[in-house]
Amino acid sequence: MTEPKKDLVQSPEEAASSGTLAARLSLSQRAGGVAVPLATVILAFLIGGLVVLATGHNPLLAYRDIFNGAGLNWIFHPTTNTAIDGGVPAQAAFNLTQTLLQTSTLILTGLAVAFAFRCGMFNIGGQGQYFIGLVVANWIGISLAGLNSFPHILLAIAAATLAGAVWAGIAGVLKATTGAHEVISTIMLNWIAYYLASWLFGVGGPLHNTDPTQATSPVSNPILESAKLPVIWGSTTLQGLSAGFLIAIAALVVYWALINRTTLGYEVRAVGFNPDAAAYGGINVKKNIIRAMAISGAFAGLAGGIDMLGYLFKYGQLDVQVSQVGFIGIAVALLGRNTALGVFLGAFIFGGLLYGTTQGLTSNVIQPELSQQLTYIIQGLVVLFIGADILILYVWNSRKRLRPRGAARTPAKAVY
Amino acid sequence: MTTWSQRLDNPVSEQLRNPATTGYVAIGLGAFAAFLAIPPIEARSPAWPIAVGILAVALGIWTATRGRQRLGWGAAVGGLLGIGLGILATRSGTGNLETVFDATLIDQTFGLATPLIFGAIAGMFSERSGVINIGLEGMMLMGAFWGVYGSDKGGTWVLGLLIGMASGGVLALIYAYFAIHLRADQIVGGTAVNFLALGITGYFFQQFYNGQVSGNPSTIPNLHISGLGHFLENSIGNLSLLTWASFLLVIVAYVVLFKTPIGLRIRACGEHPRAADTVGINVYLVRYCCVALSGLLVAAGGVYLSLGPQGNGTFIFNMTSGKGFIALAAMIFGNWRPAGAFAAAVLFGFSSALALKLQIYSPQASTLFQVLPYVLTLVAVAGVIGRTVAPAADGKPYAKQ
Amino acid sequence: MRGIRKEFPGVVANDDVSLDVRRGEVHALLGENGAGKSTLMNILYGLYRPDAGEILLNGKRVVFSSASDAIEAGIGMVHQHFMLIPVMTVAENVVLGTEPVKDGVLLDEGAAERRVADMAKTFKFAVEPGALVEDIGVGQQQRVEIMKALYRNADILILDEPTAVLTPQEASDLFEVLRTLRREGISIVFISHKLKEVLEIADRITVLRRGKTIETVPREGATEESLARAMVGREVLLRVEKKPAEVGDVLLEVEDLWASDDRGIQKVRGVSFQVRAGEIVGIAGVDGNGQTELIEALTGLRRADSGVIRVGGHELQHPTTRDSLDAGLGHIPEDRQRHGLVLEFSIAENVALHDYATTPDSKLGWLFPKRLVERAKGLIKEFDVRGGGPLTPAGALSGGNQQKLVAAREISRDPTALIAAQPTRGLDVGAIEYLHRRLVAERDEGRAILLVSLELDEIFSLSDRILVIYEGEIVGEHTGEVSEEQIGFEMLGVQKKVPA
Repeated sequence: MTEPKKDLVQSPEEAASSGTLAARLSLSQRAGGVAVPLATVILAFLIGGLVVLATGHNPLLAYRDIFNGAGLNWIFHPTTNTAIDGGVPAQAAFNLTQTLLQTSTLILTGLAVAFAFRCGMFNIGGQGQYFIGLVVANWIGISLAGLNSFPHILLAIAAATLAGAVWAGIAGVLKATTGAHEVISTIMLNWIAYYLASWLFGVGGPLHNTDPTQATSPVSNPILESAKLPVIWGSTTLQGLSAGFLIAIAALVVYWALINRTTLGYEVRAVGFNPDAAAYGGINVKKNIIRAMAISGAFAGLAGGIDMLGYLFKYGQLDVQVSQVGFIGIAVALLGRNTALGVFLGAFIFGGLLYGTTQGLTSNVIQPELSQQLTYIIQGLVVLFIGADILILYVWNSRKRLRPRGAARTPAKAVY
Repeated sequence: MTTWSQRLDNPVSEQLRNPATTGYVAIGLGAFAAFLAIPPIEARSPAWPIAVGILAVALGIWTATRGRQRLGWGAAVGGLLGIGLGILATRSGTGNLETVFDATLIDQTFGLATPLIFGAIAGMFSERSGVINIGLEGMMLMGAFWGVYGSDKGGTWVLGLLIGMASGGVLALIYAYFAIHLRADQIVGGTAVNFLALGITGYFFQQFYNGQVSGNPSTIPNLHISGLGHFLENSIGNLSLLTWASFLLVIVAYVVLFKTPIGLRIRACGEHPRAADTVGINVYLVRYCCVALSGLLVAAGGVYLSLGPQGNGTFIFNMTSGKGFIALAAMIFGNWRPAGAFAAAVLFGFSSALALKLQIYSPQASTLFQVLPYVLTLVAVAGVIGRTVAPAADGKPYAKQ
Repeated sequence: MRGIRKEFPGVVANDDVSLDVRRGEVHALLGENGAGKSTLMNILYGLYRPDAGEILLNGKRVVFSSASDAIEAGIGMVHQHFMLIPVMTVAENVVLGTEPVKDGVLLDEGAAERRVADMAKTFKFAVEPGALVEDIGVGQQQRVEIMKALYRNADILILDEPTAVLTPQEASDLFEVLRTLRREGISIVFISHKLKEVLEIADRITVLRRGKTIETVPREGATEESLARAMVGREVLLRVEKKPAEVGDVLLEVEDLWASDDRGIQKVRGVSFQVRAGEIVGIAGVDGNGQTELIEALTGLRRADSGVIRVGGHELQHPTTRDSLDAGLGHIPEDRQRHGLVLEFSIAENVALHDYATTPDSKLGWLFPKRLVERAKGLIKEFDVRGGGPLTPAGALSGGNQQKLVAAREISRDPTALIAAQPTRGLDVGAIEYLHRRLVAERDEGRAILLVSLELDEIFSLSDRILVIYEGEIVGEHTGEVSEEQIGFEMLGVQKKVPA
């Protein structure tokens, strides 16, 4: 025995700084609560505002326009009317429905990342799993004519979810059996899904549309009416908020229940925090790695499902190229600290940003195209700061000597 | 594992019986089976690819049963693929075949491989020092945009190259600060970098150019080599200056990393930073420098995208569209070695060039074909073709005691 | 080194320690676990700064602020955990940081290999400069570490428990090397707790005990007994009051167990013993003599090579951790933070670690947190776990309370036999007292307890029977009165019997 066994007297912060990502994030969860994500967002918006200012635009006006564009001004004059001729309140209501549409997607892609984080893994493949969900939902949506609405939708959603689970499960299996790092495999799977979807929807591809007037356009067929999700707010002709939103909320509840109320959630978290102790407790580490990845992918696949059935109805090569919802899900999960409520709020913020920057911005304040890029800058800053704030917290905590009494108290005689 | 000296001492016959050797030979034969049916050999009878392919499958099975299971079965599958592709090729019209498989294919291969080479070598430096760099995509994108900007405002492509590289370097330094000093999670940091780059380039692209680069910024010239004969002239006689630079880079990278003291120290930091620290090496400094270097290099690849023969002085939103990730894949597939990364980058470039040419047959197939680099990397990561061995301390932040 | 004092939170590691080393001698630093040997040498090597005292090199006072300073002053250290890069060659590892250069820029591999080859020849090492470190044996790796120090012109070489990782053959090869080094005028400080070796190789021996220098003697005249007495002699500390044991059936039985460590070295060599209901059997031994592997084999963390394990009469065949838990084995692990608890889980969740999948904690996969909390509340009260309630994360508890939590969980599962490994490691006096009393209480209730500890006091205090393990074998078994000296000797491998 040489030096004092340092590993025995580790405090949670020490474990956090060297341990699994799940452990690190859980530390920040306990310390700082809501204040830190809030501060991160504010800081990111601040810096974004500086960029706007530096390029000759007024950031305050720009943010106000984004606020309105996202429909958040609806709270000032709430109404259920979303008609075009309904004036400003109706416009706000409509914007809000669109924001909520984006939010639904981001909730699910965020949950995908969050669930994997809880099991100590980084699912960067949400984008690919989303695409797979889209594809499967479209495929079922355009087939099975004559089926009633309920079973058609149910089947499509279930299939999309399952497809997402399988796609992520590939990475899970690879990790459990060969130890392949899930970040690399999910990145590869992302691009495989990307090209797969491009091919499927492209001219001559199996899911290419059969409309002679659209023959040269690399777009799919729109799904049948029976497969479309009902609209819960807004008009069906002018993209209204679909039931997908409710499904997303339900998914939040399912996520919460899975993590906190099931033995599966218990096992998954144990493996994420401390695989050694989990194994010692009799938990099968490999099985849970696969399970966690699969469930994670299921959420992302579901996102694809509700988007396809809720408002996209068809998809094309060009859409594949610009979609980023899987990646934004990463920011959502990190901001939301992998909790159900956090993911909801994070999804709402980014959903608002995404839609608000495309809408209603007058070009004398800032061009819409510019503000769209602003979304990415803010996203990047948020993710960057969250990646780092864990350590900022750690430093902050140890300076304030909040070190818990986990530090060893050695007895009068040398024990080591 | 045997040392190099031990391997050299083994008589050839013993080496041939070594399952690893036969496994690799089998893979080679599988590729050769397909190669037989395309120009220049252009064998027309399916019998040739079938024969060679069967040999490949046989050797693969032999390898698998002699202990190297993954390698063997992988080779067997490769043999079957070779047969399939060979037969397909023999069925195709020779006219089509010759349009696809001609000298310009090589030219395009190297051209498409250039940003990948820069990226893979860049990533290699960073990871060899122990820092994962997922942000290659973002840094390449920065180079692409700011290269055009620099060339446009500065008047010459040289200035564009320098400014583009610098922009990658700056982003890399920001990333380095978060990853090394703040010990943030490197994957999260890399993802953030990609978002940032997307936003920054898009924003300023809109701000300065309103979505369309006008005027004609000076582009990177090609290196013309004449008097080589028809085939060579079409294949390598007209490559971009930067392409030749990338070849040079591979050699320089190899020398630096494996033949100089600084390379030894870099590798030590990536394998066992504590050991390096105890002999007085400043691990932080080494890592910072390597990450910054990787930013500079991959951004050069990005400049090639916009100012090179494919971009011709334009920029489009998200111009890199994944090439940074393919470069990352090439680095992994090449097992973190310069020669391997180069070979992988060329292979992936080849598959992209082939995908473009395959449009003759069917545009759909060509889209699907673009998946190849990613599938190959997935296979590599799963350990089918030997194990990929990352530097031991890759991705683990170092805390000086 | 004169009057060195070094304090860590809660313990004085070195208390007015003095040591002098002459040129060309092998000086052994002898002492038990925790005597302060490594601390002293880490100070010499510049890794720690002394709180008081000074270091003189060739008569001149020196202050080291880092290992680099010490290296430059000619001090080299070979740690127990090697600082070698496995994928690089021997030569590369040796020259790293001070590489020979040719043509101004390139690494001169040839020169490096030649220098290493020369060194190897001079000092009679049998190491190939071009070999990869991961391919050579541990003994050779150690020699590479020594070469690293020599390459930097070390005059003083510190070796920290060098034979801990070596086979006996490798150890005697090492001694040959040390003799050669000594002939070349290099001084060697040899840290050890192994008496036989020290007597074989050392010129002078300094014994440390509890942070103090006890004596410095030349090898001539020293015997194993005299050294052991110097190392071991201590006052008797608190003993727990306990009734004589009332023993029942055999609940844990081990027959001819063999097990190897991760490197394939056999650490458990034919161990057999029995633990009956109502008794505490303590296994005493110096760390590294096979105790860890023994427990791992019993609890399913490691696969035994051969031998029989019986719990409550049932034989366990290559058990997994789940199997041994189900068979009725309770285990308070020696590493509570790695194996015992998930620190981020609450107390309630940790309590459920083994049983979360069974009723009443859960049903058909649905967890009932309230039940977990109820159970935790009960245990917290019963075991007096302080520092929080059922929902407090385990990481927020002090070490003592964490250990009480682990003990609570294990004991409350009513195991057939309980294994307690280093149960009071890192705990304060109050927690130790509580746990000891608890263990005795359990034993009085008829439980079979196997106690494995590095602390002789603990063994003496609690055990009804004491087994001594040395180099993987049980070398002594004692019931009733036995002196600490006797046990101490057996732990160090000394065979001589001392009158009780």
